[in-house]
Amino acid sequence: MKRSSVGFLSVFLAFVVGSVVLFNSPAVFAAKPEKNVKAIKPVASFDVKKMADMSDFDPSNPITPSGDTIKIAVVAAFSGPSAYNGQIYYAMVQWVAHDINKRGGILVDGKKKLIEVIKADHQSKVDQCKKVTERMALQEKVHFFWGTDGSHFMKIINDTARKYKIIAINATCMSDDLQNATNFSPYAFHATFSTEMVARGMAYYYGQIRKKEKKFYILNQDYAFGRQFAEDFKKGLQEYHPQAQLVGEDFHKLFLTDYAPYLTKIQASGAEVIFTGDWLPDAGNLLKQARQMGIMLPFANVYVDEPNYLNETGVEGTKGLTNISAYYDSTPFFKTKEHIQMYTTWKQQQAKWKELPYSSIAFQHFTANAAAWVMTTYWAMSVLERAGSTDPDKIIKVWENDSFEYINGKVVKMRSCDHKAIMDLGVTEYVPPEQQKVSMNIEPFYWFKNASYTGPVYKVPAEKVLPWMDQNLDRCKGKNGWGE
Amino acid sequence: MKNNLSVKIILWIAGLILLTGLPHVIGIYYTNMVVAFAIFSVFALSLNMLLGFTGLLSFGHAMFFGMGGYGTALALTHIPGLAVIPAVGIGAATAVLLALILSPLVVRVSGTAFAMLHLAFGQLLFVVALKLYKITGGEDGIGNFPMPGLFTESLSTSPVHFYYLAMIILGLCVWLMWFVTKTPFGQIQVGIRDNARRIDYLGYQVPQTKAVVYVLSAFFAGIAGSLYGLSHNLVSAEGSLGLWMSFYPIIATMIGGVGSFFGPILGVAVFQGIDELILRYTESTELVMGVILILVVMFLPAGLMGFISSLMLRLKSRSCKNQS
Repeated sequence: MKRSSVGFLSVFLAFVVGSVVLFNSPAVFAAKPEKNVKAIKPVASFDVKKMADMSDFDPSNPITPSGDTIKIAVVAAFSGPSAYNGQIYYAMVQWVAHDINKRGGILVDGKKKLIEVIKADHQSKVDQCKKVTERMALQEKVHFFWGTDGSHFMKIINDTARKYKIIAINATCMSDDLQNATNFSPYAFHATFSTEMVARGMAYYYGQIRKKEKKFYILNQDYAFGRQFAEDFKKGLQEYHPQAQLVGEDFHKLFLTDYAPYLTKIQASGAEVIFTGDWLPDAGNLLKQARQMGIMLPFANVYVDEPNYLNETGVEGTKGLTNISAYYDSTPFFKTKEHIQMYTTWKQQQAKWKELPYSSIAFQHFTANAAAWVMTTYWAMSVLERAGSTDPDKIIKVWENDSFEYINGKVVKMRSCDHKAIMDLGVTEYVPPEQQKVSMNIEPFYWFKNASYTGPVYKVPAEKVLPWMDQNLDRCKGKNGWGE
Repeated sequence: MKNNLSVKIILWIAGLILLTGLPHVIGIYYTNMVVAFAIFSVFALSLNMLLGFTGLLSFGHAMFFGMGGYGTALALTHIPGLAVIPAVGIGAATAVLLALILSPLVVRVSGTAFAMLHLAFGQLLFVVALKLYKITGGEDGIGNFPMPGLFTESLSTSPVHFYYLAMIILGLCVWLMWFVTKTPFGQIQVGIRDNARRIDYLGYQVPQTKAVVYVLSAFFAGIAGSLYGLSHNLVSAEGSLGLWMSFYPIIATMIGGVGSFFGPILGVAVFQGIDELILRYTESTELVMGVILILVVMFLPAGLMGFISSLMLRLKSRSCKNQS
């Protein structure tokens, strides 16, 4: 064999071996880290080592303390078409309460107090929301409101919170309006991601990371959040994906039962991606009906991630769904022993839950939005502990500018001037079970057997998606996106 | 006779003192409940002007209630410095305007056609409120609108001031509605309910009379809706124009007693009391109210007021027998 042939063979073999090693590594799917990205340093973090023995926790039969307690009212729909959301939120907050109560409670106002979680059913009706929050404030004398499914309800919660000086934790609603100059309340904290950052984050993913699809169709729920989300996505496309084309835009009534008219229009539009901010039950029903009609387009979404719906839709129907989350950080998912401990504690405990909805696969994994809601609640309780008082003014002082590290290493900061959370975002593309090891890097190396789910996660740095700030709000005048 | 009058005066004064001091005794939460009770009482009474006294069943009465709310909210949003009484007046005027537009059409029908026509108009308005989101706020509604004060303090931060305002306005409304039933016009109203053709033969203008009742009913519903919006500092399509808001006064009137002036007030009291009680134990308030309605329709067709009246009659007849 000629010397040159040996040389070529060696180089070829090295290339093949290198490729095998490289492409077997989940790291290859991760987005390249941005250079010179400003990192948020955590002031506090969730410490799983301090977590209590959770083996007796069952959200269907929570142990509710009474007497002189720290009261959290979970204001959500516990009846009507959106009741499932309330049940999810309640379980997440109960988990935190159970953990902290078993540790002996939180030292506030010179005394260790346990946490009492109270259901406050707004029935998806604005007047009922007003009524129930008033009752929670005046009769139950709660210290925190925790909400909710629908920004129009969160606005009412924030109003009542302002009126009676109660801290309102917005753990789930995205609307930027909630903290603008008109609606801002010092008692309200937007502790999750917000509309503009999510919409721009999704645009960033399609324009700067994925760089494939160009034709988008917006389909949102017809209320302030849906409208704003659509506008922000358009703004994001202009900023990060100028070649993109918007081929259609529609808004449907909340809790619709037939999406066929909209889906038919989408099919005819030639769209490559359906962008939707729909939440349950619309999110799940929309996906199912689209697939039943043979429309296999990917949904760029925030809440089309409910495992029951995904499993009912199947592997093919859920493949390619693109989900943005307040919890996702990067792949692989589990980077520390602590994260694995938290995840397995939850999973082992969930296997014991016998009653629906908590026994369903929706609660099987500690991940995505549900995990973010747990972490947000831990953050609020950490703030309370550090404030050492239930006095709302002391809590406000600690929470402003505070930053908190989630169990997966993600750090979230509370911008002090308008009380909005700053965070990196994670965008994932759902992949079939055999490819899920990209993210699920512990046994059994897949999330679900019957559905596509979290695949590679791409990080959108916080500075690319800083939450919108209303410069008309006096407290924010002249400040940059970091609130500095 | 004189004795009777002085007892009445004493009772009125006692009632007024009780109402004045009530917020300081029962606290803010129950004060708000009393306000809600008064608002829904006026709303139910306004429906009873149509249903109980004129024989016109409307499945869309919420449209006047909602128009009152939206009128007031929009006025307060867009007219800087507007005082609260003119704002309520604008709300009521908006409802009256809608009634004036609809009345030429609806007064010519009755029975099922009247009910269904109102269901259609009510739903139409509901959808319009959702679609014109730039004006109405869509699903979110109009919230956080400026709340002028009665004297100096904003009504949104002074529930006691709001209580006094609501009580005065709503008390006046109840008295006016009661007064109408005692006038000759009120008698014609009842005549139309019982036999419209006979009233027509007697020379009265039935459609015109119906139109006046219709507009009056809308006026009072508009005032109730306006105060409801003010009490929540929020007006929304679902909360003010939704189907449930149209059925609420019907159910309350049926439970309390159709045709009896005070029946709807009793119905609202039962409704609110049960709602308050049930919500502490279950989320299924509508289910419980449905069961109560079935029981009332089956066993007390004249409603609770009818039941009370028959009880009183029995007691009276028994005491008469004993005396004889």
